[in-house]
Amino acid sequence: MAWIDFLDLVQSLMDGVMFGATYALIGIGFTLIFGVMHKINLSYAAASVGAAYLSLLIVSVAPTPLVYLFAALCGGLLGALIYFVCFKFLPLNQALATLMSTVGMLLVLEEAIVHATAGMPQNYPALFADKVFNLGPFIVRGDLLFVFLLGCAVMVGLKFMLEKTRLGLATRAVAQQPIAAQICGMSVDQTNASTFVIAGFLGGTAGAMTGAAIGVLSPLLTLPLTVKGLVVTVIGGLGSIPGAILAGLIVGGAESLFQFVRGVSERDIYVMLMLFVFLVFRPNGLFAAPGGRD
Amino acid sequence: MSFLRKNALALVPVIAALLPVASHSQTRDVKIYGFGAKSGVVRIFGLNSEAAMKAAADQINKAGGVTLGDGTKGRLVLEYLDDRCTAEEGINALRRIAASTDGFVAVGPTCSNVAEPLFGILQKKVGDATDTGLQFPVFTDVAAKGGLASMSQWAFRNVPSEANMYKSLFDWIKATRPEIKTIWGGVEKDFAHSNATFNVMKDFATKAGFEVKGQSEWLLADTTFSNQVREMRRGEADLVMISAHPFTTCGALKEMQRQNVKPKMMVGLTSSSSMETLQGCAAQAEGMIIPTSFAPVTDDARKAAQALQATGMSMDLHNAAAWENIFTLKDLIEKAKIIAKPETIRADRQKMRDALASMKESSGLLGKVGRTDDREAIKPFLFVQAQKGEWAVAHKPN
Amino acid sequence: MDFYIGLLQVIGVHTLLGLSAWCILHTGQVSMAQGGFFAIGAYAAGMLTAMAGWSLGPALLIAALIASLIAIAIGFPALRVKGLMLVVATTAFAEIVRLVFFNLKWQVQTPNGPIGPDGGLGFGGIRYFPANGWSGLEILTLIWCLVAGVMLVLWLLDRSRIGTLWRAVGEDEVAAQSAGINLTAAKVSAFGIGGAIAGLAGGIFSHNTTHIEHGNFTILLATFAIAYPIIGGLKSLLGTLVAVVFIQGFLIEGLRFLGDWRSLLFGAMILAIMLIRPTGLLSAPLRLSLFNSKRNAPVDDGKTGAGHA
Repeated sequence: MAWIDFLDLVQSLMDGVMFGATYALIGIGFTLIFGVMHKINLSYAAASVGAAYLSLLIVSVAPTPLVYLFAALCGGLLGALIYFVCFKFLPLNQALATLMSTVGMLLVLEEAIVHATAGMPQNYPALFADKVFNLGPFIVRGDLLFVFLLGCAVMVGLKFMLEKTRLGLATRAVAQQPIAAQICGMSVDQTNASTFVIAGFLGGTAGAMTGAAIGVLSPLLTLPLTVKGLVVTVIGGLGSIPGAILAGLIVGGAESLFQFVRGVSERDIYVMLMLFVFLVFRPNGLFAAPGGRD
Repeated sequence: MSFLRKNALALVPVIAALLPVASHSQTRDVKIYGFGAKSGVVRIFGLNSEAAMKAAADQINKAGGVTLGDGTKGRLVLEYLDDRCTAEEGINALRRIAASTDGFVAVGPTCSNVAEPLFGILQKKVGDATDTGLQFPVFTDVAAKGGLASMSQWAFRNVPSEANMYKSLFDWIKATRPEIKTIWGGVEKDFAHSNATFNVMKDFATKAGFEVKGQSEWLLADTTFSNQVREMRRGEADLVMISAHPFTTCGALKEMQRQNVKPKMMVGLTSSSSMETLQGCAAQAEGMIIPTSFAPVTDDARKAAQALQATGMSMDLHNAAAWENIFTLKDLIEKAKIIAKPETIRADRQKMRDALASMKESSGLLGKVGRTDDREAIKPFLFVQAQKGEWAVAHKPN
Repeated sequence: MDFYIGLLQVIGVHTLLGLSAWCILHTGQVSMAQGGFFAIGAYAAGMLTAMAGWSLGPALLIAALIASLIAIAIGFPALRVKGLMLVVATTAFAEIVRLVFFNLKWQVQTPNGPIGPDGGLGFGGIRYFPANGWSGLEILTLIWCLVAGVMLVLWLLDRSRIGTLWRAVGEDEVAAQSAGINLTAAKVSAFGIGGAIAGLAGGIFSHNTTHIEHGNFTILLATFAIAYPIIGGLKSLLGTLVAVVFIQGFLIEGLRFLGDWRSLLFGAMILAIMLIRPTGLLSAPLRLSLFNSKRNAPVDDGKTGAGHA
């Protein structure tokens, strides 16, 4: 392989890993909800993209960082809405029913986006879009770097929240031992609801970051993000947040690598095969979630 | 007093019954069905087509409507069905139209991946008793994947021939820009239309004497183009031709701006010469040239665009075809003496098909539209260029 | 009339798809791979009739067989994963199948020009039905005989020992294993039979639409496949049929008069049904109150054990 091809390979990998930060954020959201409720919320990626769309409402009057914040807030709102509509009134043991209800929600959110925008792509503001750093022969995109760093900051914030706050304690308690937690006086319902809201904040940020990294928002994003988010969650280990982070970066980098080597038509085949390899050799994911006594 | 009133009241139903009879002998409703994608990402195509068809029908009705075969005047009424860009629903929609007692022609579909299965279920050859395919004339406005109308003698299209347009475009570029010698392509591989058109682009570019040095590929929902644009940059071609829809076209163009890839010229996909592209990346698309079968350069085109603007929608090459179709159908209804009554509807369908088949040319907004033997259209076209957030005419080939 | 016949054909094909998912859901596995087997059946049957000139019967049979073999091959590794991981793994499999067909280019020359899968451009020209003079009614009869046949087979299986084994594995795997039930045989057989049914459905689908492409077989189709038995109620075969009629007949075709609102209402109605009748349309009696505490709802109210990772 010529030197220039090697340079391109490394550049591809770098770009992919940085873009993978958006996958990591979505994966964290999926895994957080799964860890606490043992249920999957298939409408999560759609809600994240929806929150980014909602933040477009203030894009003409607010500076970009405020738009991102608004996206996070809208994400939290949508998260609460999804909890209230899809999960609150269904018995916890009806796993299939909750699965289907989130599918219904996914369809509603996607159609709502399409109806509101007639399906046309909408420009999304990016910070540092015109800044590029040159690291020797490599180019680092300013806006991707910002997305990556913001994602890292969010993850650190989440870790802090989970380990140092009461809410985080309650979340972890309910995740490990719901019955014991109830005995200790924690409201499972409230904890679940707040988990959805927090995951919603994350999702809103993820949606905004994805929009910023691509430059446009489109309803086309919802389904592929859902699939990638699920892949990331499974590779990382269900319920494990550091796992989701690492897996997101790995999937982002691998995707770019496969595309570089084999082209775009076969790229996803290899990403899926990589998932299978992980399932065979590490069926519990990169980091298995801290188990409780069921 | 109450006696009079009672009698007066008794007269009301009599008068009411007489009134429609009175107007019945004046005008009759003539139903034109349309169908296409009004849901999903490609919703804008169905919305635009429906709006254009309604506006055209309104104009015709205001001018007196259409004269039917038995001398009565007909008022065009439009009904548009949503096929959600899926094969099964498109087929269901057409079957529904075929099962109605007032439908004798349908305008649609908008998606090429619906058109291909749809034409496949039509009767292949008229009069073939062993072929149980559907016998209903379809007059397409938008679905543009090449060569589809040849699948059935009941399928007719009013879409531009991309082969003709790109051949003309590349010949023109060769003649007017001698410094351009090499081309790099970008293609959206998983959408039937962009994939097929790219092959056409490559073919005619090579035939015109350009060297197509390579191509970059991506998928419809892709979000990063750094690999592809890097290949493009290494290719150092003079001209970049992109066959993709606005979402990924804009993504690729933005990446090109980031990596400082500035080709001498850019060529795009016909469908991308719409507001969508300019809304997404007007700055990056500056200078891109696209062949199109509609631009407000003639009086007819300008008036049609204005009529549509009044309803709040804008006109592009796709719904311009829908507009043209309605006017063409008006002419054909009169020529073929269509009666449009439930008892004549089967005969009307055959008459409409025969009229469409024998049509040598129809009137389009940019000039006369020729017809080919396999039921496709030869539409006048021109080249538009993205200039300062608008599509301006770059060249009108003759 | 033609329209209703066409609609009933579509309902028939989707019922078969739903029944294939029913098999696998019965053993407690949520599989998103039915769309993949459907695609395999569609391409296989289409290639056999359009490219090799076979007649329909043998083509459908071979298509179902191929799908079944691949399903069994998937069933073995699927044993190692449960719950959400199985969902994701089968989703990945379905995507791989779709992408393989996206890349497949294999055409033969016929008097009508080249016929065969052409990568992203799809596979057209599968005109067995119209070219051989099949009327709408004849196609309809074929489809519904197949549906009836499959339902009969599944009903008999359900009543037999195999059905008991499936249900035992579905309710509680650990208990089933302790009772000496061979988990592997139960789960893999469910995959195999489900795969065969999906392959059959796919074969008919490709002949009904005459042109197929990778975009027909997305995750959305797989989601519909499991939606039918879940919404219909896993305890009853007829439930799947009712769900298909509801979704395809009512939500998609019947609500056309709503115009633009139809698509929005689609997801909302699925959501509503799950809230009102979480165990499916044809199962336990209607739960009258949505607002009592659901945490303590009756435990074996249609519980299938799926999702307990």
